[in-house]
Amino acid sequence: MSQPSAHDVVVIGGGVTGAGIARDLSLRGLSVLLLEKGDWGGGTSGASSWMIHGGPRYLEFDWDTTRLSTKDAGHIVTIARNIVYRIVFIIPVLPHEKNNIERMETAMEVYDRFQPLKKSHPHVRLTADEARQVEPGLTPDLIGAVSMEEWGVDPHRLVFANVEDAIAHGARAMNHTRVVELMKDGGSVIGVRYRTADGTTTEARARVVVNAAGPWVPEISRLGGADVQLRPAKGIHLVYPHRISKFAISAESIDGRDLLMVSHGGFTLLGTTDDDFYGDLDSMDVMADEIEYLLQAFERVFPAIRRFRPVRTTSGVRPTLFKWRRYEDELSRRYQIFDHAADGVGGFVTIAGGKLSMYRLMAEETSDAVCRKLGHQATSVTASTPLPGSESDMEPAEELARRCGIPALAVVKLQSRHGSHAEAVLDDSRSGRLVCRCEPLTEAELAYAARSEQVQSLADAFRRVGLAGGPCAGAACVLRASEIVGRELGWSASQRFDAAREFVRGSWLGRAPVLGHAGWAQEELVQGSMRGLLN
Amino acid sequence: MGRADSLAKLALAYGVHQTRRRLSPPRSQLQRLLDTYAPDGLRPLTPEEQERHPQLIGCINCGLCALAAGRMGKTRLPDLASSYLRLYARLGDGSSDIAGDEPDWEAAAAACPVGVPLPEVAAMVRRLAAG
Repeated sequence: MSQPSAHDVVVIGGGVTGAGIARDLSLRGLSVLLLEKGDWGGGTSGASSWMIHGGPRYLEFDWDTTRLSTKDAGHIVTIARNIVYRIVFIIPVLPHEKNNIERMETAMEVYDRFQPLKKSHPHVRLTADEARQVEPGLTPDLIGAVSMEEWGVDPHRLVFANVEDAIAHGARAMNHTRVVELMKDGGSVIGVRYRTADGTTTEARARVVVNAAGPWVPEISRLGGADVQLRPAKGIHLVYPHRISKFAISAESIDGRDLLMVSHGGFTLLGTTDDDFYGDLDSMDVMADEIEYLLQAFERVFPAIRRFRPVRTTSGVRPTLFKWRRYEDELSRRYQIFDHAADGVGGFVTIAGGKLSMYRLMAEETSDAVCRKLGHQATSVTASTPLPGSESDMEPAEELARRCGIPALAVVKLQSRHGSHAEAVLDDSRSGRLVCRCEPLTEAELAYAARSEQVQSLADAFRRVGLAGGPCAGAACVLRASEIVGRELGWSASQRFDAAREFVRGSWLGRAPVLGHAGWAQEELVQGSMRGLLN
Repeated sequence: MGRADSLAKLALAYGVHQTRRRLSPPRSQLQRLLDTYAPDGLRPLTPEEQERHPQLIGCINCGLCALAAGRMGKTRLPDLASSYLRLYARLGDGSSDIAGDEPDWEAAAAACPVGVPLPEVAAMVRRLAAG
């Protein structure tokens, strides 16, 4: 066992909520230890739809929730301005849908009142012909459409920006570190015992321990002798390695749920399902009927969808608050903060439920609860303090590209991850050569991620810089990437090979469910390129 | 209570909406949509491009086209064709990447293992990049 440490607060869970809490508390001057059993944003946050939205669906249930959600989305858009981007939906209306065009436009007119809170434009209404003019892939059956604007964000970068800023303000943050025990003194939690990736077990004492473990909240709660019940809900997305449509498109599923097809930069997410989940949170399979459920819905509004080739799937579990009986959407994304002193367990706070779009508010309110317990007076400043990379305006991509001698599109992608810090990443560079052409990603950025962004595996590099996320599925880059990361982390030749093999095997789990005819042909090519890695 | 209140307010909004629709003739809002989002690079595909879109973006980034066209290691088309297509919403930012001499598109297309029509891809990329 290595040397124990002492902190004001230990936060368990390195998703967007845990990272947001660590940042909030660090900015308030408290000493914080943030622990994540996998990688930053590797659970529910990373499996989200990559959107900061205002929640128009809550208009049916509670306008205050829409106002709160939109207002906090506005804060996130402000503090992360260089890594967010506009997403414009075309919402097609078909005959006999639950909402006709007048109802749909009414909802958008109401939503328009909230849109300025998050710096978004009001809707427009389109005739069927106009909708097909801007999005020719829409079905000829539609009777009209309305537009709606939301914001997109790479959740992995959003999580890491929070982690990075927490560290900059004095926090310690460790990924691949599992909490194995909550230390107790009498009825109170007084710290945690954790195991790092190399197997070392260490103790950290804390005045308050925060459980922000997402769907793993019940498991961590039990370690502390408390009981928090969730109703976990599985959601999957199909991932296409290109932009399928210019605008995001919504569709109604067979059971009346709203599904989305959203292009983010260079790829498209189509999802999502929402099913009760009883299985192993660390091992989820994507089922053929889940894929069919999504495609069936989109085929009605975008008939050519089956002609496009998905390359993988994502799956995650929402940490939905427990409620018996049928879900109502207004409840399913709410959150709750539990001070377990009420259950006789002191020094222990849990945050459960919620959604990516309200992470900052959830973090602020949880931090308020922690500060009340500690008698700490400082208030939250996260609504106005920019995240790393969003402190100043970005240089035009063309100029940075010319000066650094790399393709302008590589700069565009670099800036989408690092914002105004992009040049610093390149300044730290050894090579501007492209290692992953799909992305496109430079060797310099990958080396920087390994050196400065807590990348410990190629899967971490996928989350941090998009490595191997494109159409080649790693065939063209994974071995070279392993060399670059391995050089930075001091891996031996066999460790580099093993890292590549582990990555290929891991990514196969998400690819197998969506391989169609062309997909299998590509898989043959990929396997040929990766000879030896799949054995 | 919250839900009843919300539904009542929506019903009122619906009444106002219907009245407004009756009193003022509808006007096309298409141009407003296009003008609003032009700075974000949201330029529509033509119907012909949309019809061919699944083929145009079928690239698996194997790099054989670049080899055939003598452009291996270059950062222009065709070896980054799929990247350009994936990012065509931002092509205005990257237009310098596609300036310069033309590779042998026919040779590049002939080498493509998944049959991407590269001359069409190039035409679409250049059209979108031109804004």
